[in-house]
Amino acid sequence: MAAAATGSGPLREEEGSSGETAAPQPQGPTSVSGARLSRLPLARVKALVKADPDVTLAGQEAIFILARAAELFVETIAKDAYCCAQQGKRKTLQRRDLDNAIEAVDEFAFLEGTLD
Amino acid sequence: MASSSGNDDDLTIPRAAINKMIKETLPNVRVANDARELVVNCCTEFIHLISSEANEICNKSEKKTISPEHVIQALESLGFGSYISEVKEVLQECKTVALKRRKASSRLENLGIPEEELLRQQQELFAKARQQQAELAQQEWLQMQQAAQQAQLAAASARSRYQKGQHGAEEGDAM
Repeated sequence: MAAAATGSGPLREEEGSSGETAAPQPQGPTSVSGARLSRLPLARVKALVKADPDVTLAGQEAIFILARAAELFVETIAKDAYCCAQQGKRKTLQRRDLDNAIEAVDEFAFLEGTLD
Repeated sequence: MASSSGNDDDLTIPRAAINKMIKETLPNVRVANDARELVVNCCTEFIHLISSEANEICNKSEKKTISPEHVIQALESLGFGSYISEVKEVLQECKTVALKRRKASSRLENLGIPEEELLRQQQELFAKARQQQAELAQQEWLQMQQAAQQAQLAAASARSRYQKGQHGAEEGDAM
């Protein structure tokens, strides 16, 4: 699912799996709001931000970069979890791999509330 | 898909978007459904976490709107400083696109009729319209006057015919 507020067509960007951004990336289609299309729907990100009663206003650029940060987060946690699966000699990523990844990283402590 | 019947707190990032990201990050890896579900929830929590922190940082500054800078500071303070350099690329892109858009719109203005000229034309049209209205009103007034005059004349001659008739009748009698 492409991720613009207007929900346009499929994204064609490539992401370097090494985590480096030195490799030039092919330009994906840009949405009306400009900037490289985030893989996350910006309207939804904005809605999530505004769901916080303390938040009054959030600028559009702030939403963009928050969406990008969330993408990076997903990539990071997925890769971490995959390492756990590989250690367990499994090829399928299971929920417990995510659990382990969360427990292993201090910065992910905030997620412990989401684990059942 | 996130529930539409729930309130704002049931919002999550759509599953499809997460699936796509997982697939791009870990191509050819099978991922269990409940693992995907957890990633969706974690992503949502992450957004809440960062935005909450950014909001606090924003409140401490004299600004009312959460800015990219606030988000960046939030990432730093919560231990996600490694995301900052990539995130700044997005900012750069925003600025580039905004610049392009401004250039494009000013080019368009130069090709078309500039705003002042359009305004001037509009004023002209208004003036003309007012004039036409005034002329029309004047014509109507004249017509009314003429009609009134004619009516008066008609009435006067009718009266005089009547009176002559009366006299005539009297004269006729007298002759």
